[in-house]
Amino acid sequence: MGRAVFGAALFAVVLLATLLAPVLRPVDPLEPNYRATYAGISAEHPLGTDRLGRDVLSRALAGGRVSLSIALSATALTILLGGSLGALAAAVGGAVDTVLSRAFDSLLAFPGFLLVLLVVAILGGGAAQTVLALGVAGSPVYFRLARAYARSELRSEYVTAALALGASRPRQVLRHALPNFAGSILVQGASTAATFLLVEASLSYLGLGVPLPTPSWGNVLQESRAFLTRQPWAAVGPGLFLAAASLSFQFVADGMRDRLDRRS
Amino acid sequence: MTRYLLGQALSFLVTLWVVLTLVFLGMRALPGDAATILGGMDASAEQIAVIRERLGLAGSLGVQYVGFIGDVARGDLGDSLRERRPVTAVLLDRLPVTLALAALAFVISLAIGVGLGLLAGLKPGGLFDRVTTLFATAALALPEFWFGFLLILLFAVNLGWFPVLGLPPTGLSWQASWHLLLPAVTLAIPRSAQVARLTRAQVLEQRRADYVRTARSKGLAGHAVARHIAANALPGVLPLLALELGGLLTGTIVVEQVFGLPGLGATILGAISARDYPVVQGVTLLAVVVYVGVNWVADLLQLVADPRLRTA
Repeated sequence: MGRAVFGAALFAVVLLATLLAPVLRPVDPLEPNYRATYAGISAEHPLGTDRLGRDVLSRALAGGRVSLSIALSATALTILLGGSLGALAAAVGGAVDTVLSRAFDSLLAFPGFLLVLLVVAILGGGAAQTVLALGVAGSPVYFRLARAYARSELRSEYVTAALALGASRPRQVLRHALPNFAGSILVQGASTAATFLLVEASLSYLGLGVPLPTPSWGNVLQESRAFLTRQPWAAVGPGLFLAAASLSFQFVADGMRDRLDRRS
Repeated sequence: MTRYLLGQALSFLVTLWVVLTLVFLGMRALPGDAATILGGMDASAEQIAVIRERLGLAGSLGVQYVGFIGDVARGDLGDSLRERRPVTAVLLDRLPVTLALAALAFVISLAIGVGLGLLAGLKPGGLFDRVTTLFATAALALPEFWFGFLLILLFAVNLGWFPVLGLPPTGLSWQASWHLLLPAVTLAIPRSAQVARLTRAQVLEQRRADYVRTARSKGLAGHAVARHIAANALPGVLPLLALELGGLLTGTIVVEQVFGLPGLGATILGAISARDYPVVQGVTLLAVVVYVGVNWVADLLQLVADPRLRTA
């Protein structure tokens, strides 16, 4: 046990906190209050306020909603993009397989973060652009995984049996092969989501991700850097949320991977 | 063996060519026409044409492409638009800081990662193993720049042991290694987590091997067995180490920003926001060549370390 369940519980807590933020903490994360700039920790402002007097806790919770949506959509995109093309390459083979494999290999020649940075530089900053950049940068891993799994499953006897019964190629892949490796892909997906959360935060920290004033974990932390020594909690607090979210995905991935390994 | 090496060298060149082509197309897909933006509001058509010529943006796409590949093959990466000097000179100026930081970070992550992984793997299930596994998971989830903030708060601000920002006025010297230590640790901890995980997994796999059982049954001392296990487990970690070392050249971007270091990362960020495309292109090419090159060398080292791979 333990790790997968603990991870899922931790994720549920973080997710609920960010989703219920408007109810739990009805302070507008965008509303400046110039009479309360750089307020310290108090019952009113548990993490203090920033240079515009905005409540840091509100911003951290609202930022979490943005960051989590970006990381999760990007994970879904990268799995769909890499996974479907990988399965396609395995199912069709021949020239299609060669071309797709070379294309994804060339993406692997770029160090990961540089690739994300360049795509964002070309597309410009923003939430949708970040999702696209992460989706592209993460896809070679899923292409390779899906291609390898699909190839080995398609060679197995039960697929040959399905073929003998007249199953079409798409049916062999989707109905027969896919259910046997979807689990492994999803486990990998959990650890990709953990990484994407951190990469999105890094991009926003560099000012290339979600543009201000919309808060995201990365840009809330970027703003806190300027008054780090004055308001350490404004940096430590939101960072803890981010680390907890990333850790929760990592725990889920680890726990599920152990379970899959033990079964096989 | 020779054939294998030749094949590897060939695929290295093909990869470089594909990357060059991608960079060429990517630079031309950037938003806005670079020449018009650089010319400013009141540039005449002639001025824009001159800028276009200088950027290698004149002529058809095919002509531009041939010129671009030829220039790069001669080691000419063009001129920085902002600093008005060759990109290669800019890169050579900024490279030492990043190299020093990357080297320091790599050594730290290697020592921590391999050390913890070996010790944990040799006694699986023990307290040390469980603590290491927890550390490895937690460190992977650590936001790099935020970890940098914490180190600054603790060691630079509260304890005052380290400088908060930048390099000493003397530039890169022995004294600078003190300034580079916190950023290097920031980079090293998350990376060491991955190394520790893989090292541990490799050690666990070796422990199940027949030669280990033989060695134990003939009464070989524990530390001697451990040495055999380590010697067989470590080549398996090489590819990951290569990925990390190769990736550090641009992996330092965020940390350079946090600690105000004037390296390659600061250069590419500045170039992106100033639309200094030749510099963006130069850093990208350098980073990719190093990344692919280091991985290639690691493949060779693995052949040296593991004779079984050579027969293939």
